Amino acid sequence: MNASATFSLKQSPIPAAAGIGLRLQHLNEIASQADDAPPVASWLEIHSETFLNAGGPRLVMLQEVRKRHPISCHGVGLSLGSAQGLDPAHLKRLAKLFDRVKPALLSEHLAWSVVDGAYLNDLLPLPYNDEMLAVVSANVSRAQDFFGQQLLVENPSSYLSFNASTMPEWDFLARLVQNTGCGLLLDVNNVYVSAANNAFSAEDYLASVPSDVVGEIHLAGHSIEVEGDDRVLVDTHSTYVCDPVWGLYRDVIARIGARPTLIEWDMDIPALSELQHEATRAQAVMDARQPQDQACVA
Amino acid sequence: MSELNLKALAAAVAGAVAVASFAAPSFAQGMGDSKGKEKCYGVSKAGENQCASANGSHSCQAQSKVDLDGNEWKYVEAGSCAKMGGKIQAFQGKGTPMKKNGG
Amino acid sequence: MWLETQRAFRATVTGVDDAIAPQAHSAHGTLAQRVAVYRNTVQQSLIDVLASAFPAVQRIVGVRFFSALARDFVRSHLPDVPQLSVYGVKFPDFIATHKRLSDLQYLADVARLEWARGESYFAADAAPLDLAGLAAIAPERLASVIFTLHPATRLVVSPHAIHRVWMVNQPDVVDVPAIDIGIAERVILTRPHYAVMVRLIAPADAAFVAALNRKLSLGAAAGEALSVDPAFNLQAVLQDHFIHGTFSTVQTE
Repeated sequence: MNASATFSLKQSPIPAAAGIGLRLQHLNEIASQADDAPPVASWLEIHSETFLNAGGPRLVMLQEVRKRHPISCHGVGLSLGSAQGLDPAHLKRLAKLFDRVKPALLSEHLAWSVVDGAYLNDLLPLPYNDEMLAVVSANVSRAQDFFGQQLLVENPSSYLSFNASTMPEWDFLARLVQNTGCGLLLDVNNVYVSAANNAFSAEDYLASVPSDVVGEIHLAGHSIEVEGDDRVLVDTHSTYVCDPVWGLYRDVIARIGARPTLIEWDMDIPALSELQHEATRAQAVMDARQPQDQACVA
Repeated sequence: MSELNLKALAAAVAGAVAVASFAAPSFAQGMGDSKGKEKCYGVSKAGENQCASANGSHSCQAQSKVDLDGNEWKYVEAGSCAKMGGKIQAFQGKGTPMKKNGG
Repeated sequence: MWLETQRAFRATVTGVDDAIAPQAHSAHGTLAQRVAVYRNTVQQSLIDVLASAFPAVQRIVGVRFFSALARDFVRSHLPDVPQLSVYGVKFPDFIATHKRLSDLQYLADVARLEWARGESYFAADAAPLDLAGLAAIAPERLASVIFTLHPATRLVVSPHAIHRVWMVNQPDVVDVPAIDIGIAERVILTRPHYAVMVRLIAPADAAFVAALNRKLSLGAAAGEALSVDPAFNLQAVLQDHFIHGTFSTVQTE
């Protein structure tokens, strides 16, 4: 298949089951449940940078939540694509959080957000070429060394392409895995959004990405914005996962098997029960999996 | 210490300790009391902080299109400022031009 | 090379020019529309962070005005750490010097109150003062003890009626009354257990807390309070501070 076979995924206590993105709107509700109440999902994921404060109720609630739920820490501010390298102070802040939370999975994005010390609070795009590969590889290795834990790197949603790109995103990710031993966080919605915005095939992408190092999958909803004759898919995380993305997800699971799968919802956040319902749909896909090679086994 | 003699000060401290110990046992117990899960973190009486909505959360989402027009300046009448008796200089003109401003 | 591209991208998404245009393309539609998605996300997400940190300020000036004000701030004050709970510390000073807000002198202090509230919420945990330990200190040594303020304690002093303005600009207040803005107010914020408390306190009490914050002894701080107001009632004031968790430790010399 591809060279990633030499980089096996580290054992993870996050089950290959459906999880939910933990948002502040639901934090109190989940933290206040009884110690013997059933977990709200098989696992939960937090945005690491939302929990970097010194103390206060938010961290206390998180400690309550993690008594009953495995936690994955999903970073949004490390800026793996920064030419100037990772910020040592931020690495330390994150390490302190990880020490408190003991996350079962760590992830970040194939993107950048920091330049000259200014943080732009968005996951900004990169060109895919050798220069960039060297930058991102060095940054991913630095982070993994610092945290002493493997990083899962997530494919971003993108709206434009750089002229300086020399390879498709899936090749870039495969080479990043080879260089650093990182795993991948495969965001199926991001593949769908980027494919539509940048005119490539989502099916080609998913068939080419090194699937055996996919340690986690993200699912989310997007918005479609039409302006003139342009149709842009915007990764708003504000709604349900759309049917074509469910279809792609089903294909991915059939091919690679069940993986920890997260429902992400960041804007117009609904009741927890709605998120649980979306998670149930993802779980059903995994439970109903018919491995593609099963017919050959007999 | 000029106006308050030692005896009065000691009596004030002792009195305050006695009343506070009686009035606020839950506060005096300190942090780390994770019994009683019925507690609502940060939920408090009217006029106090609504901590559950405190700021500073991140996300991985993109924003939908937003109008970057500068005309917002004239919309101050929608706020409570005018009602409370404050005033603000009304902005005259067509709105703030979007200038280069790399920050 | 890539660093220069990052800088061009930053200029593009924080302003309105298209410095990045020569280096990128869009599969369909115009590049400008695609760049706008990133620009909107960067600017609007930071405006939203400020709106959540300063809800009363937003309510006072209105949502549209606040957005314009916050956008002005975002463009000149990008976050310097990827931690949004500390973004906005300079917003009160920005308000104080903004030319469109010269008629609203009180607004910067309302913003300071809201920022102090956020700081209190996110401050380090610490046990409140051990009252039994305090009671065990010999009476003759009490005047020289030194209280340490709890990490979540903040004091905001203003020549304006900021507490009242803040109170009537809470989400659940429907009828906003006219307010005499010229009344000086002092507000103390504490976090007993997990909830932030916001309390109006008297001038002598504020002087007392400020003196303790300067590490003056209990006796000296009480003396300062008495010089502000001869009727300063130490027992009543201490009692409120003990109940509301103003202090975390007490040291004897």
